[in-house]
Amino acid sequence: MIHIEGVRWTYAGATTPSLDDLTLDVQRGETVVLCGPSGSGKSSALRLMNGLVPHFHEGRLDGSVHLDGRAVADLSLDQLGRLTGTVLQHPRRQFFTGRSETELAFAMENFGEPPEQIRERVAAGIDEHGLTGFAGRRLQDLSGGQQQQVACAAAATHRPPVLLFDEPTSNLSAAAIERFTATLARLRADRATVVIAEHRLHFLRGLADRVVVLRDGAVHRQWSGEQFSTLDDDALRAEGLRSSVPPPRPKPLRAQGLGPSIDHDTTSMTASGTGVTLHAVSCAFHGRRVLDIETAYLAAGVVTAITGPNGAGKSTLARILTGLQRHQGEILLDGRRFTRSQRQRAGSIVMQDVQRQLFTDTVEAELRLGASRDAGQEQRLQALLRDLDLDPVRDRHPLSLSGGQQQRLVVAAARLSGRRIVVFDEPSSGVDRRHLHSITRVMRDLAGEGAVVILITHDSELLTHTADQELRLRPISP
Amino acid sequence: MTSAPLALAERTAGRPAGRARRLDPRTKAILVLASSLVVMAPGGTPFIPAAIVLGVLLALSEGAWARAVLLPLTSAAVAAAAYLLPMALPYPVIGFVAAFAAYLLRFAAVGGVALHLLRTTTPTELTAALRAARIPRAITTSAAVMLRFLPTIATEARAVRDAMRLRGVGGWAGMLRHPVLSIERFTVPLIASSLRVAEDLSAAALLRGLGSATRPTAMHPPRLGVADLAAVGLVAALVTATVLW
Repeated sequence: MIHIEGVRWTYAGATTPSLDDLTLDVQRGETVVLCGPSGSGKSSALRLMNGLVPHFHEGRLDGSVHLDGRAVADLSLDQLGRLTGTVLQHPRRQFFTGRSETELAFAMENFGEPPEQIRERVAAGIDEHGLTGFAGRRLQDLSGGQQQQVACAAAATHRPPVLLFDEPTSNLSAAAIERFTATLARLRADRATVVIAEHRLHFLRGLADRVVVLRDGAVHRQWSGEQFSTLDDDALRAEGLRSSVPPPRPKPLRAQGLGPSIDHDTTSMTASGTGVTLHAVSCAFHGRRVLDIETAYLAAGVVTAITGPNGAGKSTLARILTGLQRHQGEILLDGRRFTRSQRQRAGSIVMQDVQRQLFTDTVEAELRLGASRDAGQEQRLQALLRDLDLDPVRDRHPLSLSGGQQQRLVVAAARLSGRRIVVFDEPSSGVDRRHLHSITRVMRDLAGEGAVVILITHDSELLTHTADQELRLRPISP
Repeated sequence: MTSAPLALAERTAGRPAGRARRLDPRTKAILVLASSLVVMAPGGTPFIPAAIVLGVLLALSEGAWARAVLLPLTSAAVAAAAYLLPMALPYPVIGFVAAFAAYLLRFAAVGGVALHLLRTTTPTELTAALRAARIPRAITTSAAVMLRFLPTIATEARAVRDAMRLRGVGGWAGMLRHPVLSIERFTVPLIASSLRVAEDLSAAALLRGLGSATRPTAMHPPRLGVADLAAVGLVAALVTATVLW
């Protein structure tokens, strides 16, 4: 179905090729997983398959790519779009319309299908992909997991023979990953050809016909589905890959909390010591309550994970803690009143979209901006540059870095900020095994210095390694 | 007013009820075009009240209660600055303010009608409607992309502002001390993140056939209905009332 031979691809402006002598065949109806460290060429390989390379992205391409027997170079993007359905890493960025129904219809409308057939397929798609519960709501108001479901359905509605997924689970909760796995199983049963680029591998056991490890833009090694499921963790570690078995159920302590938004019973409230205390904190958007906490205590000196399904109010709580979000109720730091503007001066966030928080023109300047000036800061900065693999790019412009490097840069800046409250919002999406450990170390160090460290994540591997306490949220039932 | 369109909605089987009650995007576009032509033209001042009434009625029809109240109040305040203030305080400076307010008033009047179009029309609806009106594809595609992308820039701008506050480089004090640097620190990440969103958006849209040579169809082909007829009647009544007054 997909036939790639001897491809070398260099993005315009880049000095090294992203794909270098890549040869790969994918059979009709096969499910193939592409994995490998950050920058190994996974995303570029997907772009090669849907024709965005070379028709959308600029650069130099050698070698040949065939899709369904036809040369990709000779097809136009919309012809390629009829053959492929693509789900990007951030579904919300690829939505063109406001609601599920119109989003599912979008491709078929543009391809000029008869209205009758579009309505039929859209209705079927909403049903099959389990969108009925939120089909009427605005896409931007949906949780990350729901947006992912809509994006999958929208990619599949025009029934393309090939489906491509770029890190589909990077922001999904365990329950949402389960739903996604079910979607994959159904596509497989329908004999669709599926290619998935992923870091997290455990959910793909039993679904992948083949696992391909890329390194430096070429196939480094391959396993069949059966071989892959017999590999142990050491073999994966040797390739720099994340674990293929679901991590053991993490058992951090329950953080103290009480209220409609808190998903666990806390015994007695004995909030004492340093840290942040919340009293009757609630927040509503357009009249819909998204967060309601009677009382909660987030201790200083430990890493507290805020978990819960997509839409439970995790990001809202993080924004309240750093003073970015207006709310009702009272917040105390070390037992004293802690106003919104004080929190803005005492808080720091590593956002999900890190490009929004890169302000200067070199990596080093970025780390010095707004950093505290204690003794030992210079040493800390140099150590961080080494630890997070940023030393070779210290003079580059932050916006010229890869996504993974930008993420590590913002993590490093948060480390040096000297703030009392530091929030990490999904810091591990798109991060390989080695960097997962260095990010964990940064969080531990911050906690060791007495900061209130908040980790928002669905990544159970990161949770197991990092969190001391867990505050589990749940969506408020209306 | 409600029973007829609802009956129509039931007859057009397969359409969600409520869709038929709304105006066709073509009607909305014509309302915007007509009100701006009339109000902005020389001698358009008498038509301002009519345009404001239209804006309020449209706001009520979509349930935007705040706009229905704020639009006449703002317009009244601006109109007072334009016409009453110069009478109370006859200074040259006030004359300048009044002239500006009179200009602003026209924008407020047209803005009310335009907001209705922006708030109730999705990019796909607009393209389908414009296509039905035989507007060339180059225009319909870019209009749809613009309508889709404007809210994204607003979202990104808010996020960058938040990030600046937490880094201690936002705020009025920093803005006054280093105005150029502050603008740079705001615009560079804004452009970078907007571009990244734009890249994903356009890649996904092109793969799904946006702007392709095929003539697109619509899941629900736009149709003019009772509501559109009512809107045209209303506008005719408003114009007649203005002229006869």
